[in-house]
Amino acid sequence: MMKVISGNEAVALAVKLARVGVVGIYPITPQTTIIEELAEMKARGEISTDVVRVESEHSAMGVTLGAAVSGVRAFTATSSQGLLYMHEMIWWAAGSRAPIVMVVATRAVGAPWNIWNENTDFMSERDSGWIMSFASSPQEALDLTIQAFRISEDPRVFTPMMVGMDGFILSHTKTNVYIPSQEEVDQFIPPRRQPYVIDPETKESMGNIFQPYHYMKLRQSIHDAINESKEVITEVGREYEKLNPLTDYKTLNVSYKLEDADFAVVTMGAWSLDAMEAVDRLRDRGVNVGLYRVRYVRPWAEEEIIQNLGDKKAILVFDRATSLGRAGPLYLEMKATLDNPMKGVIAGLGGVSMGKKDFYEVISRFVEESKEGRLKGVEWYYPREVKEVELGTPRSSI
Amino acid sequence: MSLGLRDLRSESLLPGTSACPGCPENMAMRMVGMSLGKDVVMVVVAGCSSVIQGIGPKNAYGYPVLNIAFAAGPAAASGMWRAFKQRNKNVTVVVWAGDGGTADIGFASLSGAAERNEDFIYLCVDNEAYMNSGGQRSGSTPHGAVTSTTPEGKKENKKELLFIMLDHNVPYLATASVGYPHDLIDKLRVAKEIQGFRYVQVLTPDPYGWLFDPSKTAEVGKLAVQTCYWPLIEVIDRKVKISNESLHCLKKETRRPLKDFLSVQGRYKKLSEKDYQELENYVDDLWERIISML
Repeated sequence: MMKVISGNEAVALAVKLARVGVVGIYPITPQTTIIEELAEMKARGEISTDVVRVESEHSAMGVTLGAAVSGVRAFTATSSQGLLYMHEMIWWAAGSRAPIVMVVATRAVGAPWNIWNENTDFMSERDSGWIMSFASSPQEALDLTIQAFRISEDPRVFTPMMVGMDGFILSHTKTNVYIPSQEEVDQFIPPRRQPYVIDPETKESMGNIFQPYHYMKLRQSIHDAINESKEVITEVGREYEKLNPLTDYKTLNVSYKLEDADFAVVTMGAWSLDAMEAVDRLRDRGVNVGLYRVRYVRPWAEEEIIQNLGDKKAILVFDRATSLGRAGPLYLEMKATLDNPMKGVIAGLGGVSMGKKDFYEVISRFVEESKEGRLKGVEWYYPREVKEVELGTPRSSI
Repeated sequence: MSLGLRDLRSESLLPGTSACPGCPENMAMRMVGMSLGKDVVMVVVAGCSSVIQGIGPKNAYGYPVLNIAFAAGPAAASGMWRAFKQRNKNVTVVVWAGDGGTADIGFASLSGAAERNEDFIYLCVDNEAYMNSGGQRSGSTPHGAVTSTTPEGKKENKKELLFIMLDHNVPYLATASVGYPHDLIDKLRVAKEIQGFRYVQVLTPDPYGWLFDPSKTAEVGKLAVQTCYWPLIEVIDRKVKISNESLHCLKKETRRPLKDFLSVQGRYKKLSEKDYQELENYVDDLWERIISML
């Protein structure tokens, strides 16, 4: 069934279709409408999910984890400050190897207050031991959320999984979304599987003090599970074709006009479509460029990346996130994977708008620079109207 | 109740824990096992009891335990009982937290769960400081007590969790002391039969933090009650009932002198006359409020 819905509505639908048992909810912009939609579904009697309205994001993950380790499918969603407030529990969930699904509608992190989109909140969780995928459309938000339940509950994985999507740009924008039927999803996601169930019958205990050598082995087991999940992700993606034949999930990441390209652009999330339009325009003008969209931050698709980008003359990586004092996290990951000449661009932070014109400008400049052999490491890019904004900072006012 | 403690089997502790000698939490844990029977799952937040169970993957507790971050106990328990309900399982979920986890870092989570009237027993083992990290002051440390972060003696009074939780209108609330095991066991048995949020706060005198001989734990727990520093009460549906052991506290003249409780502990060594007066006032106020609720 096709329906015009927002990214947040798509996520709520995915939670309904996955027959989630317990949802811990706490509102934060721009995730709010996911949990409002779930509360509405509950009020209308459309779901048997237990919707728990908690007092903080820390508790939202606490409830979700408590329910997950006690044997039911559990979900929560958050953004920005909320994700950071939840940070401790995100690690606790990963260390418990509890299959949990969470959606992050990304947003800048204060101070100062900023409610608009940026991916730094999401990217700052990449050391925590979760599988992390990132959607580029409401369609992918729905599909990846459904797949996340299957992937995280696979015995080869048993790791929580988060699905990111650009706040407002996807969370609040309505597009045509193909929705699989309940029967199809029921067949796609088997009954809940998990490594341990806390229960008087099983007598399992979790999380007490471990010796250093046991602790280190457990950390490695999470690391290995995330790496090995690549196979599960592609397997699940292939099978998802039965539910949605319109989108390709056979690979972790997505290539666009890359095969014959000399130059490659790397992006993640919603703005990839603007970047693709810029690529099309550059191709029309004879510039041999293609695009590679990162859909999985964890596991990191090292082999896929080398295969797709290893032979490119130069690579341009766009980051909508920062590791302040260093570079964009995607750029750093790409640098650690490839030896090709590379440039990083940090753009679109805190809701600064990036259109296809901006992508066209940055990509053409990058192609010229690489032809002339003067690729700069990392650049902060501002669209024309932002370039004119003056700001007094503590250093400049002295 | 006519049963002796020896007649009661405890499901909660296996032989051999990592507890210190004279540990009041081990005593309380055993009493939990004597009252709640088999179908129990525990959520243990950061504290001594995260360590007492010993080194994983083995565990000295007879109950399944989810060890969890300091501030997340009541939230995790909320998710757990709801999961058991969905699975049609009759399980008593018990959160086990110290006074730091209850009065300070975990308070938002506790208050939220109480407001939602979540269906589990919250057990606060109150040893009046952060004993697991070396005896630092908590919101529950009483006035005048020397701790490793108040070497001069704490300047503020104990945070009154009893009244704070009363104001949450929970279906069941009780205080107990490891000095009076029968009282605690009775209360937990009553709590088990009640649905909704149940709050039980147990005074657990700590030999290493309060500085008394480890053989005297039960005795100090009794002295706290006899001197009326620690009331034994039970509140069901907002009706206050005072345990027999505390009935003498209703009248000031029948209370045992507070110094009998203070003088057996090293943590009150630096107590000035003014501090002593402050503590006496604290006890008077406490009972005035309890009497006003009768």
